[in-house]
Amino acid sequence: MSDCCPGSRTMDFSEKTDQGDTETGQRQSQLRQWPIQLHLVSPQAPYFQEKDILLVADCVPFALADFHKDYLKGKSIAIGCPKLDSDQEVYVEKIKSLIDDSKINTLTVQIMQVPCCSGLVQVAKAGADKATRKIPIKQVVVGLEGDILSEEWI
Amino acid sequence: MDDNIRSREIKETIDKYPEVGRILDEYGIGCVPCSVGSCFLSEVVGIHNLDPQTEATLMYRIEKAIYPDRDIPEPKVDMTRKPTQKKINYSPAVKNLVEEHVLIKRLLAMIPSITDYVETSAEVDKDLIMGCVDFIRGYADKFHHMKEEDILFKYVDEQGEIIQVMYKDHETGRNHIRQVVEGTESGNKAQIKEHLLGYRELLTQHIKKEDEILYPWIDRQLTDTQVGELFQKCSAADASVGEELPRRYEKFIIDLERKFLKEVSK
Ligand code: SF4
Ligand SMILES: [Fe+2]
Ligand SMILES: [Fe+2]
Repeated sequence: MSDCCPGSRTMDFSEKTDQGDTETGQRQSQLRQWPIQLHLVSPQAPYFQEKDILLVADCVPFALADFHKDYLKGKSIAIGCPKLDSDQEVYVEKIKSLIDDSKINTLTVQIMQVPCCSGLVQVAKAGADKATRKIPIKQVVVGLEGDILSEEWI
Repeated sequence: MDDNIRSREIKETIDKYPEVGRILDEYGIGCVPCSVGSCFLSEVVGIHNLDPQTEATLMYRIEKAIYPDRDIPEPKVDMTRKPTQKKINYSPAVKNLVEEHVLIKRLLAMIPSITDYVETSAEVDKDLIMGCVDFIRGYADKFHHMKEEDILFKYVDEQGEIIQVMYKDHETGRNHIRQVVEGTESGNKAQIKEHLLGYRELLTQHIKKEDEILYPWIDRQLTDTQVGELFQKCSAADASVGEELPRRYEKFIIDLERKFLKEVSK
């Protein structure tokens, strides 16, 4: 991987003092399907039919503390990395099929703030452009320290 | 703040304390010209999505205006806070409605030239006026307002004052247009002028309220699932009238602009 890529620049925030509330109790996973990797899922899977779908960049759930509660809950998911994954034309076709065949209701694309991660939004847009149905698409950009930088319909 | 003020009809408060109207105006909250004015102050302020600091200051100033003698603690102003002036991000279906407003506003912009023309011509140009009436009824009302009334407004409490004001505006608009038709049939230029200008004034304010206040407020309450559903319902409504209708009305506006337009206001 090239060193000039800001997406792979080394950063350390272990000094961060605010750890948030000490949590107790157990939370439930909000995942309701398997598999989740975009190459592995079938776009026609029953868990996608007419659902609200999250398309999530691989790194996002590690940064976003409340991913399950705030985003995954009530949605179906597919994940991928726009920088390292191969055969992304397949991704485009699968997005198209999710929209046209599985008639998904909305698509929320969640990416990290690093520049190369926006490739996932391009994939989603390319799939949506190929599809004959139109659906609302939302982009959520997550900061390296788990903050939501923006959330908008595109 | 005193619950008494919060839950009193805004019109009543403004009538009694005109200063409150001026303060609201300063914050871009246009309740003074509103024809209904039976919203509660708390509802009015809530719908404008002010940042907490601005809201606290506004409420403080209103309370001060009503009870100048009362000892009210001044809200602390946090200078480090940036104003939360963000560009509005509409959900896709709502964005389409905002775009439809643009075409309607293009007609509104031409109304003064049209009424001038009517006044100075020997006979009322019936085709011209009835063409505008057809646009207003077919596009602004049937195509656009119906999506609001039959689809969008169903996502919030329709009995709420704010939606009631919108319904009332739509109805007032229809009355203006009935008068325009009457004036055209009887050749009454003054009647045409009065009600076309009245319609223009009404719709200009109405569209502004929707674009800046109502639509963003509705959008904030929608879940993603509802955003998807709303989009499909509006698309189905559009499909049911066909693509030809909005295109025909756009062409009508373009042709009219060739004739009347001095400057396009979008
Ligand atoms: S492109 Fe996105 S998902 Fe891939 S490694 Fe970079 S941040 Fe992670
Ligand atoms: Fe309206
Ligand atoms: Fe409208």
